[in-house]
Formats: sequence, C-alpha cells, structure tokens
Amino acid sequence: MPDHRFRNLRWPQENPVVEIDELVVDDGERLVLFGPNGSGKTTALRLMAGIIGPVARNDVAYLPQRPYLFRGTGRSNLDLGLDTHQRAVATALAGSLGVAERLDGAARSLSGGERMRIALARTLASDAGMVLLDEPLAPLDLRDRERTAGIIADALHGRSAVIVSHDRASAAILGDTLAVMIDGRIRQRGPTGEVFTLPSDDMVAEVVGVTNMLVGTVVGGDDTVSEVSWFGHTIVAAGPHPVGERVKVLFGGEVVAVHRERPDGASPRNVFRGTISDIRSVGRLLEVVVDCGAPIAALITPGSFETLELTPGSEIYVSVKALAMRTVSSGEAR
Amino acid sequence: MEFLIDVFGDAADFLRDSAGELGAVVGLTLLVGGIATAVAVALGVPLGITLGLGRFRWRKLLLTLVNVGMGIPPVLVGLIVLMLLWSDGPFGSLDILFTPAAMVVVQILLALPIAAGVTAGAVSSLSRDAVEQLSALHLGTIRRGVLVAREAWPGITAAVAASFGRVVSEVGAVLIVGGNIKGETRVLTTAIVQEARQARFGAALALGMVLLIIAFVVTGSLTWLQSREQADA
Repeated sequence: MPDHRFRNLRWPQENPVVEIDELVVDDGERLVLFGPNGSGKTTALRLMAGIIGPVARNDVAYLPQRPYLFRGTGRSNLDLGLDTHQRAVATALAGSLGVAERLDGAARSLSGGERMRIALARTLASDAGMVLLDEPLAPLDLRDRERTAGIIADALHGRSAVIVSHDRASAAILGDTLAVMIDGRIRQRGPTGEVFTLPSDDMVAEVVGVTNMLVGTVVGGDDTVSEVSWFGHTIVAAGPHPVGERVKVLFGGEVVAVHRERPDGASPRNVFRGTISDIRSVGRLLEVVVDCGAPIAALITPGSFETLELTPGSEIYVSVKALAMRTVSSGEAR
Repeated sequence: MEFLIDVFGDAADFLRDSAGELGAVVGLTLLVGGIATAVAVALGVPLGITLGLGRFRWRKLLLTLVNVGMGIPPVLVGLIVLMLLWSDGPFGSLDILFTPAAMVVVQILLALPIAAGVTAGAVSSLSRDAVEQLSALHLGTIRRGVLVAREAWPGITAAVAASFGRVVSEVGAVLIVGGNIKGETRVLTTAIVQEARQARFGAALALGMVLLIIAFVVTGSLTWLQSREQADA
C-alpha cells in the first residue's frame, strides 16, 4: 500500500521542540495529531508542509491554523492556486460549508469562522494526495463542527490527511487514527478508539483522558437521544441522529459504574455484562478494561477496586447514564 | 520685508512673462523624472518583494547594498556616472553625456534603492500568517509577486512616492551629467540653482513653487490612492 513518509521532523535544529524521526501515513489514512497546547503539533505540521525546515514541499495541501485571506473578495481567495475544475469543486464545498453567499464580499469583512471555511474549501479542492489541516474546526461554533467534520471526511475521499486537534470530540470525528504528541514527540499512536480507551501510560492518559469511543449504527431514538446498535447491545446516548447513520459514542471512563451483580432497579438501558480483560494504574486511579464484545474502560478508585474484589477474568456489569454519553457522526465517507 | 515683497512680485512677473521657457523646463522635469521613476519602480518593486520575502543566500548582502544606496550622496552617483559616460569612459561610445538620457540613467540609480528598500520594508512587515499562507498556496513566481504587491500596496505606493520625490528634488547628480543646458537639459532643480546663483530670486522662487506644486499633486494623488486601497481592504 503506498504511503507518505515524513522523515527527520526536527525544529529548531538546536534544542528542538519537535523531534520525530519518521512519520508514516498510509494511503487514505486520516491521522489526527492530538496533544495539549505547546506539545509541538502545529510545528510538526508546518515541518510536514515545508513551511519551516530544510525541505520545501509542493505536493501537499496545507491549511494553517490561522488562514489568511488576501485583499480582494472571498471568491478571489477561494480560487487562489486552483485550476478551473478545482475552482468548481471549491465553490461546491464553499456552498456545503455555508459561505457561498459571502464569496462576493470583501475578504477582510469576513468573520474568523467564514475565513476558515473559505480556506478549508480551497485546501480540500486541491488535488494533492496529502492534506494537512491545522485545527480546522477550532474557529467554528460547536453546532457546526460535526457537520463540517463530515464534509471534510467526504472531501478527502480516500486521500491521506494529517489533522491537528486538541479537542477530543473533533479528533474522534476527524480521524481514523490518533497520534498523541507530548513534548514534541509522538508518545502513542493507534486507532482512535484504542488510544482513547487504552492510553499507553499515565502521560497519555492525562492528555487524552480515559475516553471510550464506541462505533455503531443508529437504529432509533428521538429528539434528544439516539439508540445505537453496538456489538449486539443497544446503547442509548445523548444527541439525535438519523436512523442508519454510523456514529461514535463518546464517554469518559469516570462515568462508567462497575457492579459485581446486575444493578438493582436500574433500567436495562446501557448496562453491559462483560469480562475484565485488564486492570491498569492511571495516576491515582485504576482503569478496568471490560470486554463487552469490544472493550469499555472504567476508571475507579483503589477503594472501590478493593471493595468489589476485581480480578482479571471476573465477570462484572458496567453501566453508563445515557446523558453522560455523547454521539457524534463517525466521519466515515458516506 | 520690502525685499521679500519685491521677490514675490518678481516671481509673479516671471510666471507671467516666461511661460514658454517654464513650460519646457517643467515638461523635461516631468519626462525625465517620470521615466526614471517608472523604470526604478519596475525594477525596484520586484527586487524589494524578493528581498522582503527572504530565504535566499545573498539576501543580507543585497539588503545592505540597497540600504547603502538609499543614503548614498547624489553628487557621488553623478560623478561616477559622469566618469562612466565620459568620452574616454567604458560607456563613452553611447554619447549620451549632457543629454536627458544621462539624467534618466543617474536618476534611476538614485531612485532604484529607494523603490526596493521601501518595498522590502513593506513586504517584510506583512504578518506571519500572510507569509505562511502564501507559502502554503504553492503559486508561481509572478502570481505570488502580484499577490504580495497587492497585499503590500500601501507600502508600495509609498515607495513610488519616495522614488519620485528623490528624482524631482535631486539637483547635484543631474547637474553633473546633464550640464543644465538651457532648452536641452535644464530641469526645475537645476534652473532654480542657476537663477539663485545669479541672484534672480523671484524666478528661483517661482520655479520652486512650481516644483512644490508638482510634488504636492503627485504625492497627494498617491496618498489618496493609498488611503482608498486601505479603505477597500
């Protein structure tokens, strides 16, 4: 399978804040660079784009964190560097992103979110095989992020991408895989759900939290919740989605309750029976990984751990309140 | 006080009685200054954009040369051009010494560093976001240059105004290579020197006022253009 290799990502040369020997992105992979502020994500992306560093690149499409619109109209900025076909694609994307009617106005009169959308449409319309996006959802309203993430996924259409994010929900929607950056280095990399559920060490756990991400299909629901089919279970989680849509259900390990017996009086919603596959220390807490068809991680105190007498292989129940779970579009190309 | 009133009276008389001669001097001033400014801007602005965006090997050396050129004494430039164009000099065969062509050459040399230096300053003060976005767009050299010129337009307008100001106000270099020949190479500045030397203060003052009006109209127009562009931005 063809891939994209970025070698010797190091900046600055003396006392580097970013030091990655090699980053390989598979063809069609959407890799999210995730980490706290100051971890070097943006610097790494700028190195990949050839904006800084010794290698100038013109085979990537790059969206900076603060896209700049030049004098002129939104349209003149949208068309920059694109051929006729790409301009048509960019115009269609601008329409999907809700800025079509703003294209004829002066670029300088546009809001931060509108600028980002125009720059995003232009970047995605390029035919580069590798797309680099720096916090593409950050200037957008929360309600627009999910929809925009879906548009990005569609527009990438099997192309490779590296996307910087420091927001868990955005990362979950935008990426298939996740690389956690801490102090300029990649500390853990893997499928997004795996990194979220099973952080490799305390430092990663501190950055990403222990977050469960279950991918399933909406089978029902109402104006407030969706019913999601997941490995033979039906999960009820906050956030309405149309039936048939693939969604990711996000919830932290701290909202997962652990029981030796099926909880009395609990509604049958979101109670899962499973086997403990792993018990790990995460800071002062313990992470109990329960195999319920796929893993669900629970964070518990050492006191609870002793009271419940948990051991690997034990059969237990876990439960989560519907409103503690959030559903987002899976970001899979539709 | 009476002296000054007489000078103003003489100036008015000069403007009334010497319209033909004045027209020729003004015409040559605008022609020589206009061509020199146009050429200096045409060469200096692209050079300034290149220097302003930076990241090539000889940038620092070139910037130093431009900065030196901005402050170089015009009479020295005039002397060098005089020697180069002298009949025994390396370009003597061109036979343009003491012609408007020689004046254009010397004025280009004086205005070029100003056009380049002011443009470079304007371009290098573009925001980091603008420069990063420019790099991300992978544009061709000309498209990139046009985009930068448009973005740094207020600074480039200032570069044009400063270049023209240098050209029309300069006297030493054009006097050396032009010779201030009446009807052939006499421009407003050299004419002012000529009249002042002969204590015809009224005529000198009249020529000075015309020069001031030209400078005011040109720089005023450029300033208007600058403020309009800023308003459109």
